[in-house]
Amino acid sequence: MLKELKAISKELLKTKRVDVILAYKRASDGVSAMPCFIFEEKDIDKMILDSYCVYNLSNYIKDFPDKKIGIVAKACDIKSIIVLLQENQLKRADVVIMGIECHGVIDEKRLCPGERPVQDIGFNEKCRSCKSPLPAFCDYLLKEEEERGKTGRASEGDGYASIRKLEAKSPAERLKFWEEEFSRCIRCYACRQVCPLCYCPKCVADQTDLAWFSRASNLKGNMSWNVVRAIHMAGRCVACGECERACPVGIPLMELNKKIEKDVKELFGYEAGADAEQKPLFTCFDKKDPEDFVK
Amino acid sequence: MFKAVGKKAFMKLMDSLSKGYEIAAPRKFSNKGVFYSAITDAGDIYLGAEFTVEPVKKLFLMPSEWLFENRFNDGKISLQGGVPPQEARKRIIIGVRPCEARGLELLDKVFCSDFKDSSYSKNRERSIIVGLACSKPDKTCFCTSLGSSPAETRGMDAIIFAGEESDEMMLEIITDKAREIFAPLEDAACEEHRKKLESEKKKIKDPVRKINIPDALSASFESGYWKEVSSPCVSCGVCTYLCPTCHCFDLVDEERKRLRCYDGCCFKDFTQQASGENPRPTKRERYRQRVFHKFDYFRKNFGEHLCVGCGRCIRHCPMKIDISEIAANAPKNK
Repeated sequence: MLKELKAISKELLKTKRVDVILAYKRASDGVSAMPCFIFEEKDIDKMILDSYCVYNLSNYIKDFPDKKIGIVAKACDIKSIIVLLQENQLKRADVVIMGIECHGVIDEKRLCPGERPVQDIGFNEKCRSCKSPLPAFCDYLLKEEEERGKTGRASEGDGYASIRKLEAKSPAERLKFWEEEFSRCIRCYACRQVCPLCYCPKCVADQTDLAWFSRASNLKGNMSWNVVRAIHMAGRCVACGECERACPVGIPLMELNKKIEKDVKELFGYEAGADAEQKPLFTCFDKKDPEDFVK
Repeated sequence: MFKAVGKKAFMKLMDSLSKGYEIAAPRKFSNKGVFYSAITDAGDIYLGAEFTVEPVKKLFLMPSEWLFENRFNDGKISLQGGVPPQEARKRIIIGVRPCEARGLELLDKVFCSDFKDSSYSKNRERSIIVGLACSKPDKTCFCTSLGSSPAETRGMDAIIFAGEESDEMMLEIITDKAREIFAPLEDAACEEHRKKLESEKKKIKDPVRKINIPDALSASFESGYWKEVSSPCVSCGVCTYLCPTCHCFDLVDEERKRLRCYDGCCFKDFTQQASGENPRPTKRERYRQRVFHKFDYFRKNFGEHLCVGCGRCIRHCPMKIDISEIAANAPKNK
């Protein structure tokens, strides 16, 4: 798969079809991956592909506004590219998607120093409910050389088990749960910065004249920030899991995102990042909308 | 002075000390990590190998601190409060790693020298630092490259050597403050303990990776290197907020209060000016600033690098950016 990827990348750069390729290289620790941006053919050999390639590289598309971009993307990452296309943040002709077969990425965050060997880190939570290892929307589809046996993930349900558990709690219990989680928030905004769909030039949290909510890292401010972030992702979040991965204090942001995703699915029958031709949920209305005000 | 004590006896002493002192120590929350917390039950104190996510800095330089408040009385405006009255209680902080204690010494140069920051210095004065030697340094640690080590005792009142498997721990008492609080502990140390401690100190120093940190970076200021190495940066605040030595802040007015909140050079709006101009418009300038403040400017001003090699910014960087490699590989010229 990697060989094929390198060959395609070489061709894309050579023919000037793209100016830059967003890919993965090995990090300084010799184990993890990190993003790399390849402008010249000679750098193609840096590329790697394995289960450490966790990052959703579509977040870097906004860093190259006037360039033609080649991007290495997993099925989940491609969904966010679709939303960027739907929301006119990107022209289809400006991006070449190299979709890669993915059987799950690791959850490196839960690794404690010296406690567990690397191979035991385990797969990321989001991969357990992933429906397909093969991306559907791409320009090149890169499959593994050997066909894999069936992976166990399809059997793990729709990924909403923990959401139902939270829903079953009383509002007071839920509030307590989230207050405990948000009390640890340090307002580093890593959740925002790693999100490919948080592309506002001026985030509501950074507005100081007037400030919409407290910038102080206290429960009131933290609660406002985290709720605002989640609500802004309604009908847009593709559950790539980057926000939760980046959170240094372990706030389960995906529980919040998934809850909204579930509501959107149930109320509007809409799934974010499924179809590039579809209009974004909140730019259209339907007479069948459950709310009266539409009619 | 050494003391060899059982973990149980130590925790019992902590419980009894908690009547007269505030106690803060690392506490492990499953699946979340280890965090400094106020301790009411000594059983919660975590003295294992895992590092705290946030450094001990947070207990001295609060993420957001209330400086003063303005009030209207009879048509007149008055400023009140200042720093809210700190509890006069003495505080014992357990489990501070050698790198974090070094970090406090570096912060002292900024907040406790010519200008004395009242809240920071009050917090310094009321705290007794009981360190914890690192039994298992992480792969991201590089403290030995910056003049420290996993068993360094600078900036501490006492240090604990605790193996995770062993029920016994060794306590090295450094200052009179620590001698006083640990006086009730029976000393079971003998020559054998002393030897064991010396060999332990030697053993844990070895696995820490050594990085060649340059003395100055100024020659590389305009180099294209900074654009390249900063390109994976997503401009979040993880590295600066979790750094034991980063201390930049922003003043925020909220309701009638003025707050001092953490801020960091990697954020896009850190240098945003009211005119609309931003002198550090891209990641290149912002990330370069972080590296230069650590490994160039601070040394010029205070004689030491503003980094203690704790590895937090590498460990928690969402994109695995490694500042130690970046500083070490910076070009020696343009």
